[in-house]
Amino acid sequence: MTCHLRISIDSRGAFAVNYGARHNWLVAIKLPALRIERRLEVPSHVSAIVTMVFLLLSFLISGSILQVLGVDAVAAISQVASVYASPELLTAAVLRGVPIGLAAVGLSIAFRAGFWNIGAEGQMYMGMFASTGVVLLHVYYGLIPGWALLPVMALAAFVAGGLYCSVAGLLKAKLGVNEVLTTLMMNFIAILFVDYLVYGPWRDPRGFGFPLTVPFPNEARFGGTLGDAAWEGLALLGAAALLVYFLLTRTTVGLDLKLIGDNPQIAGIAGVKMVRTHWVLSMLTGGLAGLAGFFLLTGIVGRLRPRISPGYGYTAIVISFLAGLHPVLAVPAAVFMGGLIVGGDVLQSTLNLPFAAVQLFQSTILIMIVVGEFVKRYRVMIR
Amino acid sequence: MMDVGWLEGLLALTVQVGVLYLLASLGEIYAERSGVLNLGLEGIMIIGAVTSFVFTNALGHGHALLAAAAFGGGMGLLLAVLTVTMKLNQIVVGLAMTIMGYGISGLMGHPSTREHVMRALNPGVPQEVVMLQRAPPLSQVPIPGLSELPLVGKALFSHNVLVYLALVLAFVMWFFLFRTSFGLAVRSVGENPSMADALGVNVFRLRYLTCAISGLFGGLAGAYLFIGYQPFWLEMMTSGRGFIALSLVILASWNPLRAILGSLLFGGVEVIQYRLQLYGVGAQTPQFVLMLPYVVAIVTLSLLSIESVRKRIGVPEALSKPYSRE
Repeated sequence: MTCHLRISIDSRGAFAVNYGARHNWLVAIKLPALRIERRLEVPSHVSAIVTMVFLLLSFLISGSILQVLGVDAVAAISQVASVYASPELLTAAVLRGVPIGLAAVGLSIAFRAGFWNIGAEGQMYMGMFASTGVVLLHVYYGLIPGWALLPVMALAAFVAGGLYCSVAGLLKAKLGVNEVLTTLMMNFIAILFVDYLVYGPWRDPRGFGFPLTVPFPNEARFGGTLGDAAWEGLALLGAAALLVYFLLTRTTVGLDLKLIGDNPQIAGIAGVKMVRTHWVLSMLTGGLAGLAGFFLLTGIVGRLRPRISPGYGYTAIVISFLAGLHPVLAVPAAVFMGGLIVGGDVLQSTLNLPFAAVQLFQSTILIMIVVGEFVKRYRVMIR
Repeated sequence: MMDVGWLEGLLALTVQVGVLYLLASLGEIYAERSGVLNLGLEGIMIIGAVTSFVFTNALGHGHALLAAAAFGGGMGLLLAVLTVTMKLNQIVVGLAMTIMGYGISGLMGHPSTREHVMRALNPGVPQEVVMLQRAPPLSQVPIPGLSELPLVGKALFSHNVLVYLALVLAFVMWFFLFRTSFGLAVRSVGENPSMADALGVNVFRLRYLTCAISGLFGGLAGAYLFIGYQPFWLEMMTSGRGFIALSLVILASWNPLRAILGSLLFGGVEVIQYRLQLYGVGAQTPQFVLMLPYVVAIVTLSLLSIESVRKRIGVPEALSKPYSRE
């Protein structure tokens, strides 16, 4: 007697065992089938919960990686968490968060319009270059009066960052050049350009040969009137976020940006001026990154030196995604991320861990946030 | 000063640096040809570098190369899961993987944590080896006979194994990409995935494969950077070289053979700049020379965007666009 045992799984995941040619018994063991469906709309409370869950998951993942590498993950994460409980460290977190938040607010404009600006890092350096240029004009030539320094520096930084981003923006709008690669490459050009200035013509003659410019005078520093650079910076960041929110939701520019982000072809047909809109968008996103560079110098460092930003331009990308590309939510997200950076300093002194620990946290946060976006867009159904 | 020996040394060093970019870009060419932009290359390379550092000191060179390739390939697969299956934004995922690479490598290479990892790999590692910040480099294997040739002998035929491997692989990868049906499938998937799908090419499986290839080569490139070129561990020692490899892919217009020429060009620029500094030329402003690869990439990219050039060279049309059957 021969028997034919056939086991088959159909396309919907139903599981059938057929025994023999004639009998054709359907020993149907139905396995639960997974189906992935697209959601049309995500309620905002679901969205918020998913983001929080995935944020927690990201700490679970980076914690496990730390544990595998032989680091006490519980101690490390609780050290980082303690930053948010101490008023002193929280102020430091705000101070660190302001520049990356400014850049993140700008990125939310670009990303909403489908312009993948990876160049916030380079645009920040251009902002630092321009603000330092203004200070040097004041110090060496006395061209700009002291009281006007901060506003002129901010303006110069905004314009420099914006123009730098416009190169990529115009290349995209006119020739269709991929902005991801151009903005990325321009980061390195800007960093090297600032290196050149600080090692070369802008080096402080009385700096004992160190690659530093002259220290900024007090008129070119935050932390005078309101008492603390952190809170002055937070006011600046909040104002920028509200302005951008207004621009995105209440103006025709905002509408144009939304149309381009939804579907560039249809936006073109609908009469959105591509080159002009890309130019405006580049000025804004690059300009805010330039302001971030301005605040790094005026609020934190106080003089130009090489490699000031350890990748804050990339951290800004993490923030804008954490905030769901919402400019106002980018403010708390930036303070959170600033706290993580301060937490990195704490880990360095207590557990002897390198800055890389912060990068590990940042990267898992970014990955889990976009995975969370996936989960929001699709609903996994079990039948 | 300008004798033959000087030139020989220069050429040999050019090949030595160029191979680093060549290895990284070979895999990336496959990923991009199939429509996946692997921006995580920099992170994969630094993981390759740190694994080769830790594994070489714990177990030896063979394990180090295997581990670097395996970890790189694993990261490539992770990229595929996130961008091909889950269709997440390739740019964001790639950047996240670069940051993650910096993070994990920085932790793994740090004296306080690498001891744990090395002891887990090999409990018998002596303490002084654990504390070493360097590892023995791969030994040079001059090819008998050929390495005696004037000028090219030293430049091409007296290197470590990885250099020969990379040069041979460039030809093999070119052959597979342009002369086999597999290569045709890869290119068609990057050009028009829905058409390729309709013709029976499994788009998803192919992109998983190319992602794994690009990760594997990225891992090897990182291993080469460490044990083949500069066997001294520094945090973030790739210092943007993965991004230079990305720009090399553009300059080579997604062609493995042109990547050989491009990598020699980039390697040459780097070497000449160091040499000139030795003689005090351009010692004040090396930055402008270092900018060159990036400027070259932007100019090439802009030229490639002109319609007629684009048609002739064949920029992958579906680059960085996720594919879904709908």
